[in-house]
Amino acid sequence: MPHLKTAYAKYQGDPNVAFLLISIDEDTARLQRYLTEMKFPFPVARAAAVDAQQVMRFDNIPSTFYVDRDGVVRYQIGGNESHGDSPARVSWFIDQLKSR
Amino acid sequence: MALAIVTAAASLSAQTAAREQLVRGRSLWDQRLSKSAIAALEAAARDRTTAAEAHEMLGRIYMFKGWQQENVFPGWHDEPSYRARALAELRAAVAADPARASAQEALHLAEGFAAAENVDPAPPRDEVKALDAKLESYRSAASAPITDIFAAIEARAKAQADPAPYFTGAQILIDRGELDRAIAMAERGLAASDRFIDENLSAYQMSGKSQGSYARGRATAADLIGWALFLKKDDAAAAAKLEEAARLSQSQDFVNQFHLGELARAQNAPERAREHYLNALSLSGGPPPLRQRATQALSAMPRRASDASFDAWLETELSRRRDERKAAALKSLVDRPLPKLTLTTVDGRPYDTSSLRGKVLLLNFFASW
Repeated sequence: MPHLKTAYAKYQGDPNVAFLLISIDEDTARLQRYLTEMKFPFPVARAAAVDAQQVMRFDNIPSTFYVDRDGVVRYQIGGNESHGDSPARVSWFIDQLKSR
Repeated sequence: MALAIVTAAASLSAQTAAREQLVRGRSLWDQRLSKSAIAALEAAARDRTTAAEAHEMLGRIYMFKGWQQENVFPGWHDEPSYRARALAELRAAVAADPARASAQEALHLAEGFAAAENVDPAPPRDEVKALDAKLESYRSAASAPITDIFAAIEARAKAQADPAPYFTGAQILIDRGELDRAIAMAERGLAASDRFIDENLSAYQMSGKSQGSYARGRATAADLIGWALFLKKDDAAAAAKLEEAARLSQSQDFVNQFHLGELARAQNAPERAREHYLNALSLSGGPPPLRQRATQALSAMPRRASDASFDAWLETELSRRRDERKAAALKSLVDRPLPKLTLTTVDGRPYDTSSLRGKVLLLNFFASW
């Protein structure tokens, strides 16, 4: 997750890009401790785990979706990527969608 | 009197401008630069002296868009919304000049299309076909001067603005060992691809197809550049480009997977090489000689002693990959609209997503455990 914070630095203040973390935790206290520790600079929401995995059709946690400005999912990355979750990789996906 | 002369001169220069727009529009349309062609012709249609010709040209373009462009370029679809506009433009052409035979002919044809069940897609222009054949002939002409190859690429690219001649040219240059020139050529292809899609965006638009098309051209360019870098023995830069191509093609391009296999083998990473060769062979397409090379590379790799015969092992591996891919494609959300999901804030109140609309969005589902 730290890679998302690093990647976000590039888009902070960009009105055309948004990051949203969605926790599927059930334990609120535990989640809150985690968020206090991580101090994410972008919003965090919650969803019911079963609901989220069914609607968004993912098995791996974490799972990342990149959505274009028309609301169409363009990339879906399950788990941690084989070549590492580097910030450069995250911004590559975003820049692909931004350039349209 | 002076005033009358000024007015006449002004209208004469307007006519010249309109004629120029008409000529420009026609040549842009030959290159299939639709957006620019239509803008020029719409300008020409506003001048009385060029109105009939311009309306006819617009009508012919809309006829193509409405009925004849299905799969003329990869990813293109007919745009039925242009059909009524085609008829309207051609009627305007005939109204502007009732004696104009070619406009009447086009109108007749469009009315025929409107009444027909199916219309065949438009064939490529003969000029483009001939230039393609000429360029292709250099694939097997090892001794041809390089300037001739460049001339053939330029001539074809000038006749029609799609990126194919740059990509074909880059491949020919790679085969001749002209690696730096190949990289530059692939980069031109990348720019041409994005421009061509921008010019024809609506032709791709069927449930979000255009993004896929941008990715296709970019994947081809990245793979060509990566392969040239690999042949230049710059493995690190080659890996970056070839992996970029894999992301763009969602690991579903035979040639790119084969290239990644070759790179992994050169880097002495047999497990990774095996995966890429198997991925490649489980995909359709790809030239037979490359498929054969991938099979040979696999058969030369050590396998576990318990494995069955090579052919049986290969068949099992390939059908497993095909099944996995089919299952993943059915399951994946890629190229589908983001589904509705009920979100709450961390403390359980409803989460308002309205501020996310119209933005490029990264959604990361995680758990703190």
